[in-house]
Amino acid sequence: MKLPRYELKAEKSLMVFEFVSEGPKGEIPKLIKYSETNLKDLYNLAFGDKNLKTGEIDDTIVSNNGDSEKVLATVVSTVYAFCDKHPESWIFATGSTKSRTRLYRMGITKYIDEVGKDFDVYGLRDNEWEEFVKEIEYDAFLVKHK
Amino acid sequence: MKNIDELNKKKIPVVRIDNSLEQFKDQPIFQEKVDKANEMLKNIGLPKSKKHHR
Repeated sequence: MKLPRYELKAEKSLMVFEFVSEGPKGEIPKLIKYSETNLKDLYNLAFGDKNLKTGEIDDTIVSNNGDSEKVLATVVSTVYAFCDKHPESWIFATGSTKSRTRLYRMGITKYIDEVGKDFDVYGLRDNEWEEFVKEIEYDAFLVKHK
Repeated sequence: MKNIDELNKKKIPVVRIDNSLEQFKDQPIFQEKVDKANEMLKNIGLPKSKKHHR
């Protein structure tokens, strides 16, 4: 993780993180949440922009703040922090739209060589999990610390 | 004392604890995505072993 990333804040269980994106559109607070699912030890990873006026979180907005790589590096770093605190956990992620899922895939592709040393990374295709391979479209992703 | 560049090279990031974020733990934010995850995983479950692409 040699790319620059934002400073992180979290509550003590490290299930909710916050950082502030900085770019041409100003400061945009981002919230990352690892939510419990119906499967034991499996958490859903989601993140979005925090609307300072309403307090609502929007995971569909494209903020275009010119810092997508730094944002991505920051989100990836929370996976390390979360799994350090919750070592038995699996992390599930999928986009709110197909294009957002494609963005996640591009992000994982960027980090797979490094992240793959520490994590098993799977992609969901045709309702089956398979080891993540670059250039293949997946419906969702799953990560587990080795 | 380590500088920011050194800390940024660590895989596990430095995280400052902020108790004000506790409020989001029990709020149903991203609930649609959690519901979607539960729906997708209902029949698929977790990987049994590493599967390589076809």
